[in-house]
Amino acid sequence: MSVAQPLSRLLPRRRTVLRSLFALTVTAFTGGALAHVATTRADGAGRAAAGGFDEMYRGRHIQGRPVAGAGFDVRVDGRPLHLMRCAGGGYLTPVDHYSSYPTPLAAARGAVDELGSARLALGAHHGVRP
Amino acid sequence: MVYVRKNQRDLTAAERRKFVGAVLELKRSGRYDDFVRTHVRYYSADGDDDLRVAHMAPSFLPWHRQYLLEFERALRSVDPTVTVPYWDWTRDNTPAASLWGEDFMGGNGRRGDRQVTTGPFAYERGDWPITVGVTESPFLTRNFGNPANPIELPTARELARATAETVYDSAPWDSTSRTGFRNALEGWTREAGNGRWRNHNRVHRWVGGLMLGGASVNDPVFWLHHSFIDLVWSRWQRKNPEARYLPASPPPPGSAQYRRVVARHEPMPPFRATPDDVADHRHLYRYA
Ligand SMILES: [Cu+2]
Repeated sequence: MSVAQPLSRLLPRRRTVLRSLFALTVTAFTGGALAHVATTRADGAGRAAAGGFDEMYRGRHIQGRPVAGAGFDVRVDGRPLHLMRCAGGGYLTPVDHYSSYPTPLAAARGAVDELGSARLALGAHHGVRP
Repeated sequence: MVYVRKNQRDLTAAERRKFVGAVLELKRSGRYDDFVRTHVRYYSADGDDDLRVAHMAPSFLPWHRQYLLEFERALRSVDPTVTVPYWDWTRDNTPAASLWGEDFMGGNGRRGDRQVTTGPFAYERGDWPITVGVTESPFLTRNFGNPANPIELPTARELARATAETVYDSAPWDSTSRTGFRNALEGWTREAGNGRWRNHNRVHRWVGGLMLGGASVNDPVFWLHHSFIDLVWSRWQRKNPEARYLPASPPPPGSAQYRRVVARHEPMPPFRATPDDVADHRHLYRYA
Protein backbone atom coordinates (compact mmCIF):
# COMPACT_ATOMS: atom_id res chain seq x y z
CA MET A 1 0.00 0.00 0.00
CA SER A 2 1.42 3.35 -0.95
CA VAL A 3 1.75 6.05 1.63
CA ALA A 4 0.21 9.33 0.57
CA GLN A 5 2.68 11.90 -0.61
CA PRO A 6 2.72 14.98 1.63
CA LEU A 7 1.18 18.01 0.02
CA SER A 8 3.78 20.40 1.27
CA ARG A 9 6.43 18.74 -0.87
CA LEU A 10 4.49 19.90 -3.85
CA LEU A 11 3.88 23.46 -2.79
CA PRO A 12 5.82 26.24 -4.48
CA ARG A 13 8.44 28.03 -2.49
CA ARG A 14 6.96 30.95 -0.61
CA ARG A 15 8.45 34.32 -1.33
CA THR A 16 6.88 35.60 1.82
CA VAL A 17 7.83 39.16 2.60
CA LEU A 18 7.33 39.44 6.29
CA ARG A 19 6.39 43.11 6.59
CA SER A 20 4.54 43.24 9.89
CA LEU A 21 3.22 39.75 9.43
CA PHE A 22 4.95 38.39 12.47
CA ALA A 23 3.60 41.11 14.72
CA LEU A 24 0.14 40.53 13.31
CA THR A 25 0.22 36.80 13.85
CA VAL A 26 1.38 37.17 17.42
CA THR A 27 -1.51 39.52 18.10
CA ALA A 28 -3.99 37.18 16.48
CA PHE A 29 -2.47 34.32 18.31
CA THR A 30 -2.78 35.81 21.77
CA GLY A 31 -6.55 35.89 21.48
CA GLY A 32 -6.59 32.23 20.52
CA ALA A 33 -4.20 31.23 23.26
CA LEU A 34 -6.26 33.00 25.90
CA ALA A 35 -9.43 31.40 24.63
CA HIS A 36 -7.62 28.11 24.82
CA VAL A 37 -6.66 28.59 28.46
CA ALA A 38 -10.27 29.33 29.25
CA THR A 39 -11.59 26.24 27.47
CA THR A 40 -8.97 23.75 28.49
CA ARG A 41 -9.13 24.64 32.13
CA ALA A 42 -12.63 23.26 32.12
CA ASP A 43 -11.60 19.78 31.02
CA GLY A 44 -8.12 19.96 32.43
CA ALA A 45 -6.69 18.46 29.26
CA GLY A 46 -4.31 21.14 28.07
CA ARG A 47 -1.51 23.48 28.86
CA ALA A 48 -0.76 26.74 27.08
CA ALA A 49 2.91 27.38 26.50
CA ALA A 50 3.97 31.00 26.26
CA GLY A 51 2.50 32.22 22.96
CA GLY A 52 1.52 28.73 21.95
CA PHE A 53 -0.97 25.99 22.63
CA ASP A 54 -0.70 22.38 23.60
CA GLU A 55 -3.89 20.43 24.22
CA MET A 56 -5.85 17.30 23.61
CA TYR A 57 -8.74 17.97 21.25
CA ARG A 58 -11.15 15.15 20.37
CA GLY A 59 -8.49 12.65 21.30
CA ARG A 60 -5.81 14.27 19.18
CA HIS A 61 -2.75 16.08 20.50
CA ILE A 62 -2.54 19.54 18.94
CA GLN A 63 0.37 21.88 19.50
CA GLY A 64 1.34 25.24 18.09
CA ARG A 65 4.04 27.79 18.58
CA PRO A 66 5.04 30.94 16.75
CA VAL A 67 8.22 30.60 14.75
CA ALA A 68 10.23 33.65 13.84
CA GLY A 69 10.09 34.27 10.13
CA ALA A 70 7.92 31.30 9.27
CA GLY A 71 4.65 32.05 11.03
CA PHE A 72 3.58 29.01 13.00
CA ASP A 73 4.64 25.52 13.69
CA VAL A 74 1.46 23.56 14.22
CA ARG A 75 1.31 19.82 14.85
CA VAL A 76 -1.36 17.18 15.15
CA ASP A 77 -0.14 14.10 17.01
CA GLY A 78 3.36 15.34 16.35
CA ARG A 79 2.90 15.65 12.60
CA PRO A 80 3.28 19.08 11.01
CA LEU A 81 0.18 20.86 9.75
CA HIS A 82 1.09 23.56 7.26
CA LEU A 83 -0.79 26.84 7.70
CA MET A 84 -1.39 29.34 4.89
CA ARG A 85 -2.15 32.97 5.67
CA CYS A 86 -5.24 34.67 4.30
CA ALA A 87 -5.61 38.35 3.47
CA GLY A 88 -8.51 38.60 5.91
CA GLY A 89 -6.17 37.62 8.75
CA GLY A 90 -7.12 33.95 9.05
CA TYR A 91 -5.51 30.64 8.19
CA LEU A 92 -6.10 27.77 5.78
CA THR A 93 -4.81 24.25 6.29
CA PRO A 94 -4.24 21.54 3.67
CA VAL A 95 -7.03 19.58 5.34
CA ASP A 96 -9.56 22.39 4.87
CA HIS A 97 -8.66 24.63 1.94
CA TYR A 98 -12.05 26.27 1.64
CA SER A 99 -12.49 27.90 5.06
CA SER A 100 -10.40 30.51 6.74
CA TYR A 101 -9.96 30.06 10.51
CA PRO A 102 -9.31 33.10 12.70
CA THR A 103 -6.38 31.68 14.70
CA PRO A 104 -3.82 28.87 14.42
CA LEU A 105 -5.62 27.08 17.26
CA ALA A 106 -8.94 27.30 15.45
CA ALA A 107 -7.25 26.05 12.28
CA ALA A 108 -5.72 23.10 14.15
CA ARG A 109 -9.05 22.17 15.73
CA GLY A 110 -10.79 22.57 12.36
CA ALA A 111 -8.26 20.23 10.80
CA VAL A 112 -8.89 17.63 13.53
CA ASP A 113 -12.66 17.94 12.95
CA GLU A 114 -12.21 17.18 9.27
CA LEU A 115 -9.49 14.56 9.62
CA GLY A 116 -11.84 12.10 11.28
CA SER A 117 -9.70 9.13 12.15
CA ALA A 118 -7.06 9.87 9.49
CA ARG A 119 -3.48 10.73 10.29
CA LEU A 120 -1.58 13.51 8.58
CA ALA A 121 0.95 12.29 6.06
CA LEU A 122 4.36 12.01 7.63
CA GLY A 123 6.98 14.42 6.39
CA ALA A 124 4.49 17.19 5.73
CA HIS A 125 5.97 20.48 6.88
CA HIS A 126 5.86 24.14 6.39
CA GLY A 127 5.61 24.14 2.67
CA VAL A 128 8.81 26.15 2.54
CA ARG A 129 11.37 24.29 0.56
CA PRO A 130 14.94 25.47 0.27
CA MET B 1 -15.35 20.29 -33.90
CA VAL B 2 -17.34 21.91 -31.10
CA TYR B 3 -18.43 19.40 -28.48
CA VAL B 4 -21.12 19.56 -25.83
CA ARG B 5 -20.92 19.32 -22.05
CA LYS B 6 -24.11 17.87 -20.65
CA ASN B 7 -25.91 17.99 -17.36
CA GLN B 8 -24.84 14.82 -15.58
CA ARG B 9 -28.48 14.01 -14.75
CA ASP B 10 -29.19 13.69 -18.48
CA LEU B 11 -26.40 11.25 -19.30
CA THR B 12 -27.39 7.83 -20.58
CA ALA B 13 -26.10 4.74 -18.81
CA ALA B 14 -23.59 4.32 -21.65
CA GLU B 15 -22.38 7.92 -21.30
CA ARG B 16 -21.93 7.49 -17.56
CA ARG B 17 -19.96 4.32 -18.13
CA LYS B 18 -17.72 5.94 -20.73
CA PHE B 19 -16.95 8.95 -18.57
CA VAL B 20 -16.01 6.75 -15.61
CA GLY B 21 -13.97 4.49 -17.86
CA ALA B 22 -11.93 7.38 -19.26
CA VAL B 23 -11.30 8.78 -15.76
CA LEU B 24 -10.14 5.37 -14.52
CA GLU B 25 -7.82 5.02 -17.50
CA LEU B 26 -6.18 8.39 -16.71
CA LYS B 27 -5.75 7.23 -13.13
CA ARG B 28 -4.21 3.95 -14.23
CA SER B 29 -1.70 5.71 -16.48
CA GLY B 30 -0.66 8.21 -13.77
CA ARG B 31 -1.93 11.24 -15.67
CA TYR B 32 -4.79 11.80 -13.24
CA ASP B 33 -2.40 12.27 -10.32
CA ASP B 34 -0.50 14.88 -12.34
CA PHE B 35 -3.72 16.88 -12.45
CA VAL B 36 -4.02 16.53 -8.66
CA ARG B 37 -0.46 17.81 -8.26
CA THR B 38 -1.07 20.80 -10.51
CA HIS B 39 -4.05 21.91 -8.45
CA VAL B 40 -2.08 21.52 -5.20
CA ARG B 41 0.92 23.35 -6.55
CA TYR B 42 -1.01 26.40 -7.76
CA TYR B 43 -3.16 26.87 -4.67
CA SER B 44 -1.58 29.92 -3.06
CA ALA B 45 -3.43 31.78 -0.32
CA ASP B 46 -3.74 35.55 -0.41
CA GLY B 47 -1.90 36.24 2.85
CA ASP B 48 1.31 35.18 1.15
CA ASP B 49 3.09 37.24 -1.45
CA ASP B 50 3.15 34.63 -4.18
CA LEU B 51 1.45 35.02 -7.50
CA ARG B 52 -2.05 33.54 -7.07
CA VAL B 53 -3.62 32.07 -10.16
CA ALA B 54 -6.12 29.43 -9.08
CA HIS B 55 -7.92 30.67 -5.96
CA MET B 56 -8.53 33.89 -4.05
CA ALA B 57 -7.75 35.73 -7.27
CA PRO B 58 -9.45 37.14 -10.39
CA SER B 59 -8.10 34.28 -12.51
CA PHE B 60 -9.99 31.69 -10.40
CA LEU B 61 -12.48 31.32 -13.27
CA PRO B 62 -10.22 31.38 -16.38
CA TRP B 63 -7.53 29.29 -14.66
CA HIS B 64 -10.06 26.54 -13.91
CA ARG B 65 -11.52 26.88 -17.43
CA GLN B 66 -8.12 26.12 -18.90
CA TYR B 67 -7.48 23.39 -16.33
CA LEU B 68 -10.77 21.67 -17.22
CA LEU B 69 -9.97 21.98 -20.91
CA GLU B 70 -6.65 20.19 -20.39
CA PHE B 71 -8.33 17.48 -18.36
CA GLU B 72 -11.02 17.08 -20.98
CA ARG B 73 -8.36 16.86 -23.69
CA ALA B 74 -6.73 14.03 -21.71
CA LEU B 75 -10.10 12.27 -21.33
CA ARG B 76 -10.80 12.63 -25.04
CA SER B 77 -7.42 11.16 -25.91
CA VAL B 78 -8.71 8.03 -24.16
CA ASP B 79 -12.25 8.20 -25.55
CA PRO B 80 -13.05 10.94 -28.11
CA THR B 81 -16.77 10.79 -27.29
CA VAL B 82 -16.33 11.84 -23.65
CA THR B 83 -16.80 15.40 -22.31
CA VAL B 84 -16.88 16.70 -18.71
CA PRO B 85 -20.50 16.72 -17.52
CA TYR B 86 -21.72 19.34 -15.09
CA TRP B 87 -23.43 19.00 -11.72
CA ASP B 88 -26.10 21.61 -11.11
CA TRP B 89 -26.02 21.47 -7.32
CA THR B 90 -28.93 23.88 -7.00
CA ARG B 91 -31.09 21.11 -8.44
CA ASP B 92 -29.44 17.79 -7.62
CA ASN B 93 -28.93 18.73 -4.01
CA THR B 94 -29.39 15.54 -2.01
CA PRO B 95 -27.38 12.36 -1.40
CA ALA B 96 -30.16 10.51 -3.27
CA ALA B 97 -29.32 12.21 -6.59
CA SER B 98 -28.35 9.87 -9.43
CA LEU B 99 -24.98 11.66 -9.46
CA TRP B 100 -23.99 9.52 -6.48
CA GLY B 101 -25.09 6.24 -8.07
CA GLU B 102 -23.17 2.98 -8.02
CA ASP B 103 -22.35 3.34 -11.71
CA PHE B 104 -21.16 6.94 -11.50
CA MET B 105 -19.60 8.85 -8.59
CA GLY B 106 -20.51 6.37 -5.85
CA GLY B 107 -22.01 7.54 -2.59
CA ASN B 108 -21.20 9.13 0.73
CA GLY B 109 -18.36 8.01 2.97
CA ARG B 110 -19.20 5.55 5.73
CA ARG B 111 -19.26 6.53 9.40
CA GLY B 112 -15.97 6.53 11.21
CA ASP B 113 -13.25 6.80 8.62
CA ARG B 114 -15.54 8.41 5.97
CA GLN B 115 -14.32 5.97 3.36
CA VAL B 116 -16.33 5.82 0.13
CA THR B 117 -17.27 2.16 -0.21
CA THR B 118 -19.64 2.27 -3.19
CA GLY B 119 -19.15 2.91 -6.88
CA PRO B 120 -16.14 2.83 -9.20
CA PHE B 121 -13.95 4.94 -6.89
CA ALA B 122 -14.35 2.79 -3.79
CA TYR B 123 -10.96 1.70 -2.49
CA GLU B 124 -11.87 -1.99 -2.44
CA ARG B 125 -12.39 -1.95 -6.19
CA GLY B 126 -8.67 -1.35 -6.50
CA ASP B 127 -8.84 1.34 -9.20
CA TRP B 128 -8.71 4.46 -7.07
CA PRO B 129 -5.85 4.56 -4.56
CA ILE B 130 -5.11 8.06 -3.26
CA THR B 131 -1.41 8.69 -3.85
CA VAL B 132 -1.24 12.49 -3.62
CA GLY B 133 -2.86 13.38 -0.34
CA VAL B 134 -2.86 15.30 2.89
CA THR B 135 -3.24 12.22 5.05
CA GLU B 136 -1.93 8.68 5.11
CA SER B 137 -5.33 7.29 4.15
CA PRO B 138 -5.18 5.67 0.73
CA PHE B 139 -8.96 5.83 0.12
CA LEU B 140 -11.38 8.47 -1.14
CA THR B 141 -13.42 10.11 1.65
CA ARG B 142 -16.68 12.08 1.70
CA ASN B 143 -18.80 13.53 4.48
CA PHE B 144 -22.00 14.81 2.87
CA GLY B 145 -23.53 17.83 4.57
CA ASN B 146 -20.99 17.82 7.40
CA PRO B 147 -23.33 16.31 10.04
CA ALA B 148 -21.29 17.66 12.97
CA ASN B 149 -22.08 21.19 11.77
CA PRO B 150 -24.75 20.69 9.11
CA ILE B 151 -24.67 22.64 5.88
CA GLU B 152 -26.88 22.59 2.78
CA LEU B 153 -25.80 22.92 -0.83
CA PRO B 154 -26.16 26.43 -2.26
CA THR B 155 -29.67 27.29 -3.40
CA ALA B 156 -30.64 28.84 -6.73
CA ARG B 157 -31.32 32.02 -4.80
CA GLU B 158 -27.85 32.11 -3.32
CA LEU B 159 -26.35 31.54 -6.75
CA ALA B 160 -28.54 34.32 -8.14
CA ARG B 161 -26.92 36.75 -5.73
CA ALA B 162 -23.61 36.06 -7.44
CA THR B 163 -24.94 36.23 -10.98
CA ALA B 164 -26.65 39.56 -10.19
CA GLU B 165 -23.22 41.18 -9.94
CA THR B 166 -22.44 43.28 -12.99
CA VAL B 167 -18.67 43.77 -12.62
CA TYR B 168 -16.26 40.87 -13.04
CA ASP B 169 -14.05 41.49 -10.00
CA SER B 170 -12.86 44.28 -7.73
CA ALA B 171 -9.82 45.40 -5.74
CA PRO B 172 -8.08 44.10 -3.70
CA TRP B 173 -8.59 41.13 -6.10
CA ASP B 174 -8.53 38.52 -3.35
CA SER B 175 -10.76 36.69 -0.85
CA THR B 176 -11.75 40.01 0.70
CA SER B 177 -13.15 41.58 -2.51
CA ARG B 178 -16.59 42.80 -1.48
CA THR B 179 -18.14 43.22 -4.89
CA GLY B 180 -17.79 41.52 -8.23
CA PHE B 181 -18.98 38.28 -9.75
CA ARG B 182 -15.76 36.30 -9.21
CA ASN B 183 -15.64 36.36 -5.41
CA ALA B 184 -19.41 36.05 -5.07
CA LEU B 185 -19.17 32.82 -7.06
CA GLU B 186 -15.91 31.61 -5.53
CA GLY B 187 -17.56 32.19 -2.17
CA TRP B 188 -15.24 33.88 0.33
CA THR B 189 -17.07 35.95 2.92
CA ARG B 190 -16.38 37.45 6.31
CA GLU B 191 -19.62 36.21 7.80
CA ALA B 192 -19.83 34.03 10.87
CA GLY B 193 -21.58 30.67 11.09
CA ASN B 194 -22.80 28.84 8.02
CA GLY B 195 -22.88 32.05 5.98
CA ARG B 196 -19.12 31.75 5.77
CA TRP B 197 -19.42 29.44 2.80
CA ARG B 198 -21.03 30.47 -0.42
CA ASN B 199 -21.49 28.84 -3.79
CA HIS B 200 -18.23 27.25 -4.99
CA ASN B 201 -16.63 26.99 -1.53
CA ARG B 202 -19.87 25.73 0.01
CA VAL B 203 -20.04 22.82 -2.42
CA HIS B 204 -16.52 21.75 -1.48
CA ARG B 205 -17.63 21.88 2.15
CA TRP B 206 -20.87 19.98 1.58
CA VAL B 207 -19.16 17.06 -0.16
CA GLY B 208 -16.46 17.07 2.51
CA GLY B 209 -13.67 14.55 2.95
CA LEU B 210 -11.03 14.96 0.28
CA MET B 211 -13.12 17.59 -1.55
CA LEU B 212 -12.44 19.91 1.37
CA GLY B 213 -8.68 19.76 1.23
CA GLY B 214 -5.80 20.81 -0.92
CA ALA B 215 -6.04 17.60 -2.89
CA SER B 216 -9.75 17.99 -3.72
CA VAL B 217 -9.14 16.86 -7.30
CA ASN B 218 -8.80 13.32 -5.92
CA ASP B 219 -12.60 13.26 -5.85
CA PRO B 220 -13.74 13.00 -9.48
CA VAL B 221 -16.85 15.03 -8.64
CA PHE B 222 -14.44 17.97 -8.55
CA TRP B 223 -14.63 18.13 -12.36
CA LEU B 224 -18.43 18.08 -12.46
CA HIS B 225 -18.55 20.82 -9.86
CA HIS B 226 -16.11 23.02 -11.75
CA SER B 227 -17.83 22.31 -15.05
CA PHE B 228 -20.97 23.85 -13.53
CA ILE B 229 -18.97 26.82 -12.15
CA ASP B 230 -17.69 27.33 -15.69
CA LEU B 231 -21.22 27.13 -17.10
CA VAL B 232 -22.41 29.76 -14.61
CA TRP B 233 -19.56 32.02 -15.66
CA SER B 234 -20.30 31.41 -19.33
CA ARG B 235 -23.96 32.40 -18.91
CA TRP B 236 -22.96 35.43 -16.89
CA GLN B 237 -20.61 36.50 -19.68
CA ARG B 238 -23.42 36.27 -22.20
CA LYS B 239 -25.69 38.33 -19.96
CA ASN B 240 -22.99 40.94 -19.31
CA PRO B 241 -21.13 41.30 -22.61
CA GLU B 242 -19.52 44.56 -21.55
CA ALA B 243 -18.15 43.15 -18.29
CA ARG B 244 -14.75 41.90 -19.30
CA TYR B 245 -12.09 40.29 -17.13
CA LEU B 246 -10.51 42.58 -14.53
CA PRO B 247 -7.90 43.78 -13.83
CA ALA B 248 -7.33 44.82 -17.43
CA SER B 249 -3.72 45.75 -16.74
CA PRO B 250 -1.29 44.59 -14.04
CA PRO B 251 -1.35 46.34 -10.64
CA PRO B 252 1.56 48.85 -10.69
CA PRO B 253 4.86 48.42 -8.79
CA GLY B 254 4.44 49.49 -5.20
CA SER B 255 0.77 48.49 -5.02
CA ALA B 256 -0.27 45.67 -2.71
CA GLN B 257 -1.18 43.23 -5.49
CA TYR B 258 1.86 43.93 -7.68
CA ARG B 259 2.91 40.61 -9.30
CA ARG B 260 0.37 38.74 -7.18
CA VAL B 261 -2.54 38.58 -9.63
CA VAL B 262 -2.88 37.94 -13.35
CA ALA B 263 -4.14 40.76 -15.57
CA ARG B 264 -6.27 40.26 -18.69
CA HIS B 265 -3.39 39.67 -21.09
CA GLU B 266 -0.92 37.87 -18.84
CA PRO B 267 -0.38 34.10 -18.87
CA MET B 268 -1.82 31.97 -16.04
CA PRO B 269 0.91 29.53 -14.98
CA PRO B 270 1.40 26.68 -15.64
CA PHE B 271 -0.60 27.44 -18.77
CA ARG B 272 0.41 29.81 -21.51
CA ALA B 273 -3.18 30.94 -21.93
CA THR B 274 -4.23 34.36 -20.67
CA PRO B 275 -7.66 35.19 -19.23
CA ASP B 276 -8.45 36.91 -22.52
CA ASP B 277 -7.52 33.79 -24.49
CA VAL B 278 -10.16 31.71 -22.71
CA ALA B 279 -12.82 34.40 -22.36
CA ASP B 280 -14.76 32.84 -25.23
CA HIS B 281 -15.03 29.05 -25.25
CA ARG B 282 -17.74 28.66 -27.87
CA HIS B 283 -15.34 27.55 -30.62
CA LEU B 284 -14.29 24.62 -28.38
CA TYR B 285 -17.32 23.46 -26.41
CA ARG B 286 -20.74 24.59 -25.37
CA TYR B 287 -23.18 23.66 -22.64
CA ALA B 288 -26.37 21.74 -23.21
CU1 LIG C 1 -13.13 24.15 -6.52
